[in-house]
Amino acid sequence: MGLIGFLILFPLLSALLLFFIKSDTARDAIVVVSVATIVVATLALCIGNLSTPPVYFEFDSQVVEIVCTILSVVIGVIILWFAWKYKNVLAGVLGAIQLVAALIFDFAVAPGVHVEQGLYIDSLSVMMAFIIGVIGSGICLYALGYMKDHVAHHSEEEDRRPLFFALMFLFLSAMFVIVFSNNMIWMFTGWEVTTLCSFLLIGYTRTEEAIANSFRQIIMNIAGGLGFLLALYYCAINMHTLSFVEFIQMGISAPAVISLPVCALAFAGITKAAQMPFHSWLLGAMVAPTPTSALLHSSTMVKAGVFLLVKLAPLFAISTAPAVMVVLIGGITFTLASFMAISQSNAKRVLAYSTVANLGLIVACAGVGTPEAVWAAMFLILFHAAAKSLLFLCVGTAEHHIGSRDIEDMDLLFERMPQLARNMMVGIMVMFIAPFGMLISKWATLVSFVDNHQVALIILLAFGSAATFMFWAKWLGKLSGIAGHPANVEKTVYKSEWAAIYTMTALALVFCVALPVISSGVVMPYISGVYGYTMMALDSDILALMSILSIAVIFVLLAGSTGGSKKRKVDAYLAGVSVNNADRTYRNALSQEATATVRNMYLADTFGEETITPVAVVSTTIIIIGAFAAALATVAALL
Amino acid sequence: MDMNFFLSTIIGTLCFAVLAPIVGCLLSGADRIISARMQGRVGPKLLQPYWDVRKLLGKDKIAVSGSEDTYINLALFFSLLAGGIFFSGGNFLLVVFVITLSSLFFIVAAYSTRSPYAEVGAARETLQVMSYEPMILLMTVAFYQVVGTFDVGGVMLMNHPVICTAWAAFLGLLFVLTIKLRKSPFDISSSHHAHQEIVKGTTTEMSGPTLAKVEIMHWVENVLFMGWVGVFFVYANPISIAVALIAVVLIYFFEIWIDNNFARVKWQAMLKWAWIAALIAGGLNVAFLAFM
Repeated sequence: MGLIGFLILFPLLSALLLFFIKSDTARDAIVVVSVATIVVATLALCIGNLSTPPVYFEFDSQVVEIVCTILSVVIGVIILWFAWKYKNVLAGVLGAIQLVAALIFDFAVAPGVHVEQGLYIDSLSVMMAFIIGVIGSGICLYALGYMKDHVAHHSEEEDRRPLFFALMFLFLSAMFVIVFSNNMIWMFTGWEVTTLCSFLLIGYTRTEEAIANSFRQIIMNIAGGLGFLLALYYCAINMHTLSFVEFIQMGISAPAVISLPVCALAFAGITKAAQMPFHSWLLGAMVAPTPTSALLHSSTMVKAGVFLLVKLAPLFAISTAPAVMVVLIGGITFTLASFMAISQSNAKRVLAYSTVANLGLIVACAGVGTPEAVWAAMFLILFHAAAKSLLFLCVGTAEHHIGSRDIEDMDLLFERMPQLARNMMVGIMVMFIAPFGMLISKWATLVSFVDNHQVALIILLAFGSAATFMFWAKWLGKLSGIAGHPANVEKTVYKSEWAAIYTMTALALVFCVALPVISSGVVMPYISGVYGYTMMALDSDILALMSILSIAVIFVLLAGSTGGSKKRKVDAYLAGVSVNNADRTYRNALSQEATATVRNMYLADTFGEETITPVAVVSTTIIIIGAFAAALATVAALL
Repeated sequence: MDMNFFLSTIIGTLCFAVLAPIVGCLLSGADRIISARMQGRVGPKLLQPYWDVRKLLGKDKIAVSGSEDTYINLALFFSLLAGGIFFSGGNFLLVVFVITLSSLFFIVAAYSTRSPYAEVGAARETLQVMSYEPMILLMTVAFYQVVGTFDVGGVMLMNHPVICTAWAAFLGLLFVLTIKLRKSPFDISSSHHAHQEIVKGTTTEMSGPTLAKVEIMHWVENVLFMGWVGVFFVYANPISIAVALIAVVLIYFFEIWIDNNFARVKWQAMLKWAWIAALIAGGLNVAFLAFM
């Protein structure tokens, strides 16, 4: 338990230091030392608790309760202050409602309910701790170099790096609180802190667009937070418990009772995980500096949403209204977000839609709620964290060195930024193709859907996966091009950036190769702890074969695609006499010089945002309203 | 871990690597003769594809990008592995994923040359994969629902062939098979004749031994896809294997007939019809098997 406390408190300390220190050198030192400490502590925790059964700690502290109340007030005040400053009425109203509701809860309702086991650890929280502590803090390390470039590129902006780094570490601390708290009030406090952190990080540049997008985020997530609060009220008043594990156990014995609170918690999870109709906040979050996006997408924020839903999975297996809502929203989000990703040429938007889509798949798995589905969900979380953070870091570095985040401008990146392009290609391949991790997880997802007769999900998965192939393959292709020998522009990339990028690549590949071990050492213990038995969608033979193939593919690609073959080099065919073949210029039929250029296909008429967003928003809104109506009807029937 | 699984996969792949190019080559030769007869020509000899590839293998090794050969090697290797897994009775979904990986490397090989015509071909090839993938996935799901396992070998224990309850999925497969076999009206990423708007599309910049490997890969793929057709007819009764072979011959003849009688369509039509076929034939079949 000591390590858990350390992991929660130490990043807070770093955040505090970073907030007050303005010197570059001191910041570098603090970040590097903090990151190293967090990584070591996380690894110690993970190794010490490998394949742990769930363990609940007797921990109950009046001080923590008071801190939670103070934090609620601070968060409320900050939101109200920003709402007033930028004249955003809706955010102000929602913030005020939340503040009042939280205070009434803390002073009038919560004191009657006592939670003895405040903290816990199980294999899911171990896995989440690894993601937060290693991948999340790796992104903080990357941010050091990135933010130096950012400040240099935006000299007109005020240098707000102290706030930026403080928020990044505060974020990590809040995430640790979420994954280790059994006391639902503490969990809720961590939840709200992450909402506030991402609000401030999205609005970091204070441009008009950034402010607008940060308010979009805060409005949607306060709505989700109100859902969480509703569940807290219901649990405290009707079920007399605020212990998460007791709540789940009571729900399993009496599914009708928990229909409404599970709906409310699922709603909170859906907003935080940026599921349709709330996906727009995550796309808006792209205005923030890239490390923020990497952090939000891979190891924090949205992962808190899916974490909560995966925890609720056993309840979805028996409670129809929330399960239907979660399954359908997840499935629809996966397919429609994958469609929209095809129409984007902005790399960060492609990544954002891909995140929304993959989270949809995790949400759908949680909604199915069987051991097989939870197996798939956990692997989706793990691989997505590693590969997506890697891709964001690569895009961020590329943007600073080629001056664009457009995929079309990444033409010839294979030679302009040879190391970066290879890392990016690994990230892309891990995201969508056999024998790498995400595809194995998707495969397990498909099997769990088939075994549970989820026909709608099977069909959504089939079409969504096809779209996934399209948008990743064309990006991969763009990177692989070789022509002429353009100048290498990656020599000025900071060492801390390389360290973070190579760490993420190594993690993504190690996860792929170690898949069978992770399955038996982390995922299975969680499943047997929750369900009492285990079940895997895939044979261990297949996992082993995939592990071997991953090694083979990576080896051949790294050794073979260097472009240094001994074959005689010839010009590409250009339907005319080449003038400069490296630039693809030639003399055309009218004896004029022409340059051959090709753009990828974006199919905007078919898969454009304008076409698909309305369908997505309307259908998922109807589903949410329907599920809450059904849940309320269940409650009314009980009275 | 079961060593038998690895052994059978390896032996299956080796046997497939030897036999499939021979069968595929003969299939391709027959294809050319029959096509010629349909067009009122005599056509080449049966072994013409073999002599073509042999000639390509003897040509100079030249390249545009230098890395396309690596990608093509990977594409060929994975198409052989997919065939090996399939014909040794392995997991059907695994076969689908491995052959998709092969397609991806073929696409990346075309992109890596950064030739305008090859890039257009690669983009269209990507569209082709996106068009047929849903139907292929739904077909394997229907297979699983009927047989109770994704293992292809499972059909040998059935007392009726898969097609009895998965005929809709089979029809859907036939529809997208035209795309997979690169036949008109869906041969939009490349063409047999280099005088069209995209020259040779994906393979524009490939020549000599690299192009030979692409040809062999296409032969091997065709044998694998015909295996998919055949597996719908096989069950515990040994005679069913003969029935499956006859069915395969008829279906291949049917595909040649389509190839010779339909003009190439635009990608929009291909995507639309392939997805409609997947939704109706695949979706309904899967729903029926899940709930009935």
